[in-house]
Amino acid sequence: MTAAPHYDLAHALAALLATGALLSALALLGAKLVHEQVRVYAVQSALAAAFAALAGAHHGAVDLVILGALTLATKGWLIPFAINRQLTFEAAEHEVPLVIQVPTSLIAGAALAGFAYWSAGALHASGALVPAPALGMPIALVLIGFLFMTTRQNLISQIVGLLVLENGVFFATVAVAPGLPFAIGFLLLFDVITAVLFYAVLARLIVARARGTSVIDLNTLRG
Amino acid sequence: MTIAVLLIAGLPLAAALASWLGRGEALAAPASVAAALGCFAAALVAVFGLGAAEGERALGSIVYLDGLGGVFLLAASGVYLLVAVYSAGYLRPGVGHVRLRRLYWPLLNLFGFALVATPLADNLAVLWVAVELTTVVSAVLVTSEGTDASLEAAWKYLVIGSAGLAVGLLGIVVLYLAAAPVLGGSFSPRVTVLAPVAGSLDPGLARAAFALVIVGFGTKVGLVPMHAWLPDAHSEAPSPVSAMLSGALLAAALYAVLRIGAIAEAATGPTYVHTLLLVFGAASLVLAGLFALRQANYKRLLAYSSIEHMGIVALGIGIGGPVAAYGAFLHVLAHAAAKALAFFGAGELLSRFETREAAGVRGVMRTAPLAGVMVLAAALAIGGMPPFAVFRSELLIVSGGFARSSYFLAGLLVVVANVAFAGIYRTFHVMVLSPAEGASERAARAPQPLMGAAMLGCVAALVALGLWIPAPLDQLLQSAAGVIGART
Repeated sequence: MTAAPHYDLAHALAALLATGALLSALALLGAKLVHEQVRVYAVQSALAAAFAALAGAHHGAVDLVILGALTLATKGWLIPFAINRQLTFEAAEHEVPLVIQVPTSLIAGAALAGFAYWSAGALHASGALVPAPALGMPIALVLIGFLFMTTRQNLISQIVGLLVLENGVFFATVAVAPGLPFAIGFLLLFDVITAVLFYAVLARLIVARARGTSVIDLNTLRG
Repeated sequence: MTIAVLLIAGLPLAAALASWLGRGEALAAPASVAAALGCFAAALVAVFGLGAAEGERALGSIVYLDGLGGVFLLAASGVYLLVAVYSAGYLRPGVGHVRLRRLYWPLLNLFGFALVATPLADNLAVLWVAVELTTVVSAVLVTSEGTDASLEAAWKYLVIGSAGLAVGLLGIVVLYLAAAPVLGGSFSPRVTVLAPVAGSLDPGLARAAFALVIVGFGTKVGLVPMHAWLPDAHSEAPSPVSAMLSGALLAAALYAVLRIGAIAEAATGPTYVHTLLLVFGAASLVLAGLFALRQANYKRLLAYSSIEHMGIVALGIGIGGPVAAYGAFLHVLAHAAAKALAFFGAGELLSRFETREAAGVRGVMRTAPLAGVMVLAAALAIGGMPPFAVFRSELLIVSGGFARSSYFLAGLLVVVANVAFAGIYRTFHVMVLSPAEGASERAARAPQPLMGAAMLGCVAALVALGLWIPAPLDQLLQSAAGVIGART
């Protein structure tokens, strides 16, 4: 006879944060303006930071709490702030050209989330804080990030899509591999900042060539 | 070993710093060439002099070098050296087209550092960071010519490459999860920790992990269908950067696939890992080989040829057995030298004729005989003609395929490689041997000695490896095949 799983406040909060992250990914698909998308990313990153801190408190791991604080400072504030500073008012209020419209995007996003939970269920992966399928939400974030990147023809939106995808990997790490050493989590965070910096440089170069921040015109290379 | 490793990783970093802080290019070029030479020499010592084939650790738990890593370290450091020498000539006034001159040398050295760090990393997360570093650094190098097309290519490369690597990281996390029941909740995801217990990992999670890794890192390898970034980036980058991308970067990402594949193989049994390698390898070989035939841009043609050759390596390891796997690892070295030579030759053509279109290049042999000979040698080498090393490696893979009764796959390789060769050679033959049509003064400029030296170095390596494999290298290749590929 196996003991029934014990759910306490930490588990309830973890479930709440995971649900919030999934909803934020769907909200992203509904956001048409660039600055809205950046804001949704900031909220999602704050949820990721809270998730790491909660896992740290639950496992008694100070390094995870520190990682949560660093995540909040960088992904919740610094990166959105840096992206917003790159945006002129016009670009921020710019309605991003869509390959597929919002309602279709949301349906596709929900279908991807369903697929993510189904495929994660097959893996029987569970974490101390998150019951199986613990990888459902992270995989959903990765897939929705892909969907967002490929259907939003805007440079900043593509960066946001990539960062959401990375948030999915972050959630996966904290949910099922909280023992990954702090130094590695820090390396990954540093890597995200470096990558965003390089993205910003490239985006500036492209915008400086009077193309706007749309990638519609980035189609000269074919074959 | 520690000193050798410090030199391998430290010299490119020191050169990056020196070329960033130093004023002007006068210091940057010789410092970078010296650093690359020292890095390559130290890599030779580490791989052949210090018994890397047996598996050696250094710097505590940071570095692990075995036969598999040794092959890729030689490819990375060798291409880095050749590219540094070639770049020193290519960046001379009136030769190549590089606008980001201030950033070129620091970034090239940083790129070299990330490439040599990849096969040295014991920790899979550090390995991932090293591969990610190659993306951000090389993407900026792709924009070095400052054209709109190069910006577009770099953007595609960054977005697709980074998304792929995020999936690869998820694969590492899942592998960690697969090992948690054996190693406990908190351990370092190091090769030397995971490999000894690989047979006890959760097979279902190990399968999922390798699938994510081959899709994720496979994006950087350029495996079909995740290859969309590759032709653009290779075509629009300055030619020495293209050589580094093709000869070393693709291999570095492939190393990550194989390193994790070797662990997954022990958990899942060989069939699953080898089947995935075969599927992606065969798709890359066939589609890229056919795409290469319809390219009017000779640099894009070489880019598709790179995808084809990565497909050949994956196919060779997928076929498995000691002969095919040995041939696949020899192919990593042969491809590094052959594709460096090919892109160096493309750089010669671009700097002389100022077009990437094959139709705009005629009479190279008349106007620039050395460049003409090198370009033709490159076409023959990448096409797998004797006496070049690619012939030997492909022959070994085909022989290994027949030995293991993989007649269809071996036959596929023979047919596609020959069809692709016919198409590639025809394009270069027309460019080089057709009559000159009013060649410009720029097209007929005197050969640049450093560029010529780098190309001769490639030819020497290709011919030497085609005719003779020294005993230490033979042992290294067998050792690499023993890590993944031979055990089936």
